[in-house]
Amino acid sequence: MKELVKFSWQPELKSPSLVVGWSVDAGKLGEKVTGYLNQKLTHRSFAEIEPAEFFPLGGVAIENDLFQFPESRFYSRPGGDLVVFRSPPPGYEWYKFLDLILDTAQRYCHGKELYTIGSMISPGAHTTPRELIGVFNSPELRKAFSRYDLDRELNYETPPGHRPTLNSLLLWAARRRNIPGVSLWVPIPFYLVTVDDARAQRRVLEFFNQRFDLRIDLGDLDEEVRLQNEKISRLRGSSPEIDRYITRLESNLRLSEEENEKLVMGIEECLQGNQQT
Amino acid sequence: MGIRLFEEPELRKPDMILGWPGIGNIGIIAVDTLRGQVQAREFGEIESWDFFYPKGLKVKAGLLEELEFPGNKFYYQRLKGKDLIFFIGEEQPTAPGRTYAEGRKAYQMANLVLDVAGRFGCQRVYTSGAAVALTHHTLKPGVWTVASREGLIEEMKGYSNTVLMSEIEGRGNQGSISGLNGLLPGLAKKRGFDAICLMGEIPDYLSQSPLPYPRAAKAVVEVLAGILGIGVDFTPFDTMATQIDTVIDSLYEKFPPEIKERIEQRKSAIQAKVETITEEDETWIKEHIDEFFKKKSGNE
Repeated sequence: MKELVKFSWQPELKSPSLVVGWSVDAGKLGEKVTGYLNQKLTHRSFAEIEPAEFFPLGGVAIENDLFQFPESRFYSRPGGDLVVFRSPPPGYEWYKFLDLILDTAQRYCHGKELYTIGSMISPGAHTTPRELIGVFNSPELRKAFSRYDLDRELNYETPPGHRPTLNSLLLWAARRRNIPGVSLWVPIPFYLVTVDDARAQRRVLEFFNQRFDLRIDLGDLDEEVRLQNEKISRLRGSSPEIDRYITRLESNLRLSEEENEKLVMGIEECLQGNQQT
Repeated sequence: MGIRLFEEPELRKPDMILGWPGIGNIGIIAVDTLRGQVQAREFGEIESWDFFYPKGLKVKAGLLEELEFPGNKFYYQRLKGKDLIFFIGEEQPTAPGRTYAEGRKAYQMANLVLDVAGRFGCQRVYTSGAAVALTHHTLKPGVWTVASREGLIEEMKGYSNTVLMSEIEGRGNQGSISGLNGLLPGLAKKRGFDAICLMGEIPDYLSQSPLPYPRAAKAVVEVLAGILGIGVDFTPFDTMATQIDTVIDSLYEKFPPEIKERIEQRKSAIQAKVETITEEDETWIKEHIDEFFKKKSGNE
């Protein structure tokens, strides 16, 4: 295993929780939340998974004129309570990859709990509050979470033709190792899927703040939410069509496929200049 | 990851019959239907998570209840004179970007299956799949047969409707079998088992379609039933074939007239046992059929 996970330094951790976020996620939720945690908690990368067995390395992907090379890294700080893992989802050898994450967290960091971050696409409006849904792999952990503002009652079965998410596989693999874990899910309005959803990020971070007593000031995210809402409000003011679509969503009405597309394009154009880097 | 047996049945020199999905799902339909008919009982599995991505998730009241993976199950039945072990694999462990099983995972899976064969004293293993052939969908499919040693070839010649690869025009005594239906008997030979692969013919122009081809599965089971000396009720195959024939007929109706004409000529040639199907014909039909299916899927 050591050959597949390269350590650059060994953090001395007591019994941290592991937070996992994927860089391919609706509303960039996993990437943004893990990035935010790393920044605010002054985490540094201490280990990484070698990519060759897990990603097609036939070339390099380019996004916004920048090379995108798969980086699967563990972050923490000496004496920290959290280990954060960020990565693109592996292309193959999924179980082995997830097993490496858990192995590293358990054997080298003595990790006690697992938290995965995921988003789902919601047909609702951005003005509705973001829900936080928890799927647990242990009844005890589920019970312990009754004091948090979290939906713990989800019933779900994979629809025909679909496959479970990587987070579900990770949660299952953690259970096999007796690591209690929860998958945190936030429904994200469909027209914010390709841009940031700061409100969804805030919802997850607020939970982590409470759970781990992190005391992170989320003021900058509040400002981001305010700016995003302001931009969308201005767009609604200048485009009666967009306003009509959002108003209908706010009344729990659905849009046609064509209307959906127009709304997505309008919002994307409007928020292009409002991206967090 | 490994083999999990729920039971250790006492079996007397059983044969092992294996089925995986593939072209026309011929192998898996044949083996799974036969397994059902002899009422074989599940007794073990190969743990799937290292081979496959899960196929289903169940969450109840916020708790992850079940993560379901494609099945890889062993079954057994004691029959008069012959004990049988069946292995049904719901998916083939494919290498990245490949349609059929190959590489390390496929080799690992094949070895695990043969470990069970060895543990229960199997001497012979059968796999089954599709033989893409220059035939016609209204003709009875032949069963191409490949074996691990000469003696078995001689034995196979004794069963009706079997075709040896060396008898097929234009193949020059050479060929290959893709995926686990081919890899497993190859490895079985290396590990000292007798191995036979039975491949039901599917017309080349249907090999790219997503339809199952129960006619060929029936032909395979006819041969297997003869080898094993067991009685089989073929009604399920016939019922399935009647349903699929309707779909194939309506698809065939939509083929461009020039393709249909060539395929009909082929049918007459086969019926007249005249070897007039040229390599040129085969290539011509393949190119035009690919185009037809591409257009069709583009319109759907």
